[in-house]
Amino acid sequence: MKHWPVHSIVLIWAVMFTTGCDRCSEPICETADCNPAATPYELEIPPFFPPMDIPEDNPLTEEGIELGRMLFWEKSLSADYSMSCGSCHLPAASFADPNPYSTGITGAQGIRNAMAIINIGWAPSYFWDGRAVTLEEQILEPVSHPDEMALPWEDAVARLQSSDVYPDLFEVAFTDRVITPELVAKAIAQFLRTMVSADSKFDQWRRGETNLTDQEFAGYEIFLREGGDPETTPGGQFGGDCFHCHGEAGLQFSDYLFRNNGLDSTFTADPGHAAVTGNPLDSGRFKTPTLRNVALTAPYMHDGRFETLEEVVAHYNSGGVPSATVDPFMKYTTGGLALSPVQQAQLIAFLHTLTDTTFIHAQQFQDPH
Amino acid sequence: MNSALRLYIAFLTMSAISCNLLRKEDVVPLPGTFRMETALTWGGDPYTLGQVVTDHLGHPLRLDNLQAYVAPIALRNAAGEWVESDDVFLLDYSIHAQKMVSTFPAGTYDAVRFGLGIPPEINTDIDPASYPNDHPLSVLGSAGMFWTWASGYIFVKYEGKYAIDPGSQLLEPVSYHCGTDASYRTVTFELNEPFEVKSQEVTPALLTLDASRALIGTGDSIDIAVDPVTHNSNGDSLGARMMDLLVDAWTLEFME
Repeated sequence: MKHWPVHSIVLIWAVMFTTGCDRCSEPICETADCNPAATPYELEIPPFFPPMDIPEDNPLTEEGIELGRMLFWEKSLSADYSMSCGSCHLPAASFADPNPYSTGITGAQGIRNAMAIINIGWAPSYFWDGRAVTLEEQILEPVSHPDEMALPWEDAVARLQSSDVYPDLFEVAFTDRVITPELVAKAIAQFLRTMVSADSKFDQWRRGETNLTDQEFAGYEIFLREGGDPETTPGGQFGGDCFHCHGEAGLQFSDYLFRNNGLDSTFTADPGHAAVTGNPLDSGRFKTPTLRNVALTAPYMHDGRFETLEEVVAHYNSGGVPSATVDPFMKYTTGGLALSPVQQAQLIAFLHTLTDTTFIHAQQFQDPH
Repeated sequence: MNSALRLYIAFLTMSAISCNLLRKEDVVPLPGTFRMETALTWGGDPYTLGQVVTDHLGHPLRLDNLQAYVAPIALRNAAGEWVESDDVFLLDYSIHAQKMVSTFPAGTYDAVRFGLGIPPEINTDIDPASYPNDHPLSVLGSAGMFWTWASGYIFVKYEGKYAIDPGSQLLEPVSYHCGTDASYRTVTFELNEPFEVKSQEVTPALLTLDASRALIGTGDSIDIAVDPVTHNSNGDSLGARMMDLLVDAWTLEFME
């Protein structure tokens, strides 16, 4: 037998080494749930935003996102075929409900205002009380909730399974024609993670593309200043104290923490975060919502008690009411923030700069049916 | 010898050299772990957030939120040099049994030091959004502990409720937010006996914070009825005073 020349062995080794490294550095699939048939979708993270943590078992794909959009707007996920997720998360209201409480298919109402869907891929918890820690977990609740869409999940997946469309779409998105509640939640979660708003006037200003008016900029300064009279509140700057909870770090305008902002002095009607943790110190605490598109998301607070931004600012200006768990940022013991009517108007003008109409009109978020 | 054979021999020689280099590196001892577990006390007694205690002036007080940044942790070696870890920790005393785990070269050390707050070089001008979300300085990791790009992070947050008179409902807010570069402090423990960080082993210690010492110490005290609030993003003196008091509020014990 003729021996292989040494240089051929070296060459073959080199080729194998090189191609082997390429395969290592660019794996096609890293997780068991990865679907090589679907098209990976790379979410563009806007300037100044933090990275978004996407679950390893639910990577974004074009097919998964589009399926999620169809399911978000799918009325057959409600018992009487009348409601979809989008029925309580209206685009014009920045995907929130303009009613204080959402009305389910039976006419029953919830006890809290439906939260806006905007940049929620960055949120570390969901619902006003934080009872869901993942988006996928959150999505599983409204379909079967008797006061909302009121459709048991086994019926929901049976409807989807028997449709002419969905089994094929699930197969492409998840390599599985057998539809489960978990796959439905994954698809919708993919869609919701793409609902990114980053083109408000404030964003454009941060990118150096436009200017704020004098009134808007004055409002921004109030937003960023410590509240209170320095004579009575050390460090006070006659500001709005807004940035503490609605900080602009990462341009989220929420710290995503749970706070009691002095709305009530007792919490028997709705204990808030305490219902989740069991800790009395969490009574009356609710998740800080983002201020993005806040001008579009009326009514305000967890129970929708305020109809206008003017009422909201007036509440904070008053200092709120004392209670065992009221947040120390609330100036209830020193008579409130003492913002003048002009300053309140300036603050509201700034809040309007957080409105992103391109987000609510974006075609890729609208009802595809 | 033909050129291909020479190339082959050169390849084998380089591989052998690489292997020798690796062996030499293996001689260097692998680092060890210094682990500080944390505890909270009030006047020396174990304390849990939400408990009502009495301050040095007799005011009933309940702490609801106590958080502190620690960065960096450093150990002084036998040569008298401080060896620093790069870690940043956010101690949140609402979370049970937190630990600060850092890696140090194996060796003998005779002092432990940590920064209370965030060192000036990373406190401002670094966008929190530039950190991964699980980092204590990231947007999510620093939730509620970040002021602005200009003023940086809140080093210590000490919040709760108090009452002027014993027996009254606790409704008055206590809210001390201490920070700014000028308020950054260093806590140092000079040890009577040196300790050893052994290669690939864990050296445990218990770091205890006495929360009552934030309000009273040697040469200064804070009356919560007079000065119940500071948000010293502009560096007011009350926040700096509390940081000074906190320097003496810690004890360190080595565990078996």
